[in-house]
Amino acid sequence: MDFILEGFFEAYNLLVSGNAETYSAILATVKVSSYSIVCSLLLGIPLGFFLGYFNFSGKKTLRTIVDTLMALPTVFIGLIVYAFLTHRGPLGNFSLLFTLPGIAIGQTILALPIVIGLSATAIESMDKKLRITIMSMGANRRQLFLTSLWESRHGILAGAIAAYGRVMTEVGISMMVGGNIKWHTRTITTAIALETNKGQFGMGVALGLVLLTIAFCVNLSVSVLRRR
Amino acid sequence: MDLPIYEIRSLKHSYAGKTVLEVEHLIVQPAAIIGLIGPNGSGKSTLLRLLGLIERPSQGNILYNGQFVEPFSDEARFHITLLPQEPFLMKRSVFKNVSYGLKLRGNSGDTADRVNEALSLVGLSSEDFAQRPWYALSGGEAQRVALAARLALTPKVLLLDEPTANVDAASAQLIKEATLRARQELGTTLIVASHDWQWLYEICDEILHLFKGKIFGRGRETIIFGPWQKLKTGKWGKILSDKQQLQVSFPPNQEAAAVIDILSVSHDRPTTSGEDIVLSGTVSRLSLERKTGRLFATILVGDFPFNVGIASEQVKEHTIFPGKTIFIRYRLDQIKWI
Repeated sequence: MDFILEGFFEAYNLLVSGNAETYSAILATVKVSSYSIVCSLLLGIPLGFFLGYFNFSGKKTLRTIVDTLMALPTVFIGLIVYAFLTHRGPLGNFSLLFTLPGIAIGQTILALPIVIGLSATAIESMDKKLRITIMSMGANRRQLFLTSLWESRHGILAGAIAAYGRVMTEVGISMMVGGNIKWHTRTITTAIALETNKGQFGMGVALGLVLLTIAFCVNLSVSVLRRR
Repeated sequence: MDLPIYEIRSLKHSYAGKTVLEVEHLIVQPAAIIGLIGPNGSGKSTLLRLLGLIERPSQGNILYNGQFVEPFSDEARFHITLLPQEPFLMKRSVFKNVSYGLKLRGNSGDTADRVNEALSLVGLSSEDFAQRPWYALSGGEAQRVALAARLALTPKVLLLDEPTANVDAASAQLIKEATLRARQELGTTLIVASHDWQWLYEICDEILHLFKGKIFGRGRETIIFGPWQKLKTGKWGKILSDKQQLQVSFPPNQEAAAVIDILSVSHDRPTTSGEDIVLSGTVSRLSLERKTGRLFATILVGDFPFNVGIASEQVKEHTIFPGKTIFIRYRLDQIKWI
């Protein structure tokens, strides 16, 4: 058990001393997860609104597909994205393989169904009287959309947190699409996997603590937003 | 004559293939007060939602000030507002709820003044209520805040769906006063659906009776809804709570509604012939029809209110006053069925 305790001490030293390799992985993680969550929210919230708000033929089938995609295995996404981004793949010309934007594409695919599905649930559970109230006050379509989103903010935020959590903690996509290249595409999770394999528990624990801290900060901000 | 504020042409509205409202032609004049009366499911709320441009009619047209309008029409969306039966407040403070519509209109200068004024119109002090969150209000307060949010918009048309149904007597009185003030001060056209017949009879220029999605009468007809039963005498009718028999002619179906025209009211039991039916009842209320200046008495027979026009002499001579037991007479062959 001593090596775990030593790991905590080493974690403290690495973080306080500003270890470059540790901070490189942290920066890569924050960057790539921010890209992917922003993209998935921009695409997913309007799509979730559409799916939750309107009734159309095939809605139930579409909903089932989205719910199924929420459980997509990260290694499968990694495999598909790898196949598309490799030089022989249809998007090979963009040279995105083993880059942070490449990982962000894969993570966006991972987060998108979660954002769509949970936003649609939040919109569906919205009180039907809200629409009448907003329209009766003279709102146009855009104002109806924005006010409905604002009124469903707690449910949508819960979806965003779930998606962010999934993106931050995934290993499969980052490993397969990013290649775990030191100083370049090494993220917190791939670094933990590598360091653990090497027996370097200190760095692994340090990076794990950073993940927890980031998760805490995100939840704290959301909790402040909820109170508004 | 002014251009009608509303005109409905050949309107039909359906949900899941079932027609719930059919209005061939209806005109509403500006600044009128129109009452909608009918049992649950008669189409009152649907008519209000269509007039409030919340839904698009399945067939037919609605004209507002002579222009075809539909949901989100720029010609009308800032002029018409609907207060639904169950109050709904957005997840924000009372002030933000009341100012929401003003914000949509780009109003910024006098928002606070208008919100305070609207709150005071419905009997809420802005000092006590403006910053309260939506969840810290009673049902009556929430309904009044919802009304204040509409009144702050100084609408040309205010549609009210059972505004006093779920509130206590004091809140109901404040809501009634506030809506009438809007009509008096702003010339707002009011269209009100309510089960409070007496209130509607007192304030409305016109009453529309709805039943099974159709307008079948305009005025103070006494309408008794089914189900009907065959009485021991072999006639059709109902046994009233005071054991009297309310007889009717043969109904087209058990759920049909009977429109009963009262022929006379007297304090002595009148002599009757073959088709005459006489029932005794208690005068529960006297009211004045604003538009015509006629006096009406509401006579409770069992639990059923009969509305009867009376001569002012009868009131002057104290032959009719609330609490007095009197007799009403109608004829079986004059009952109309809907």
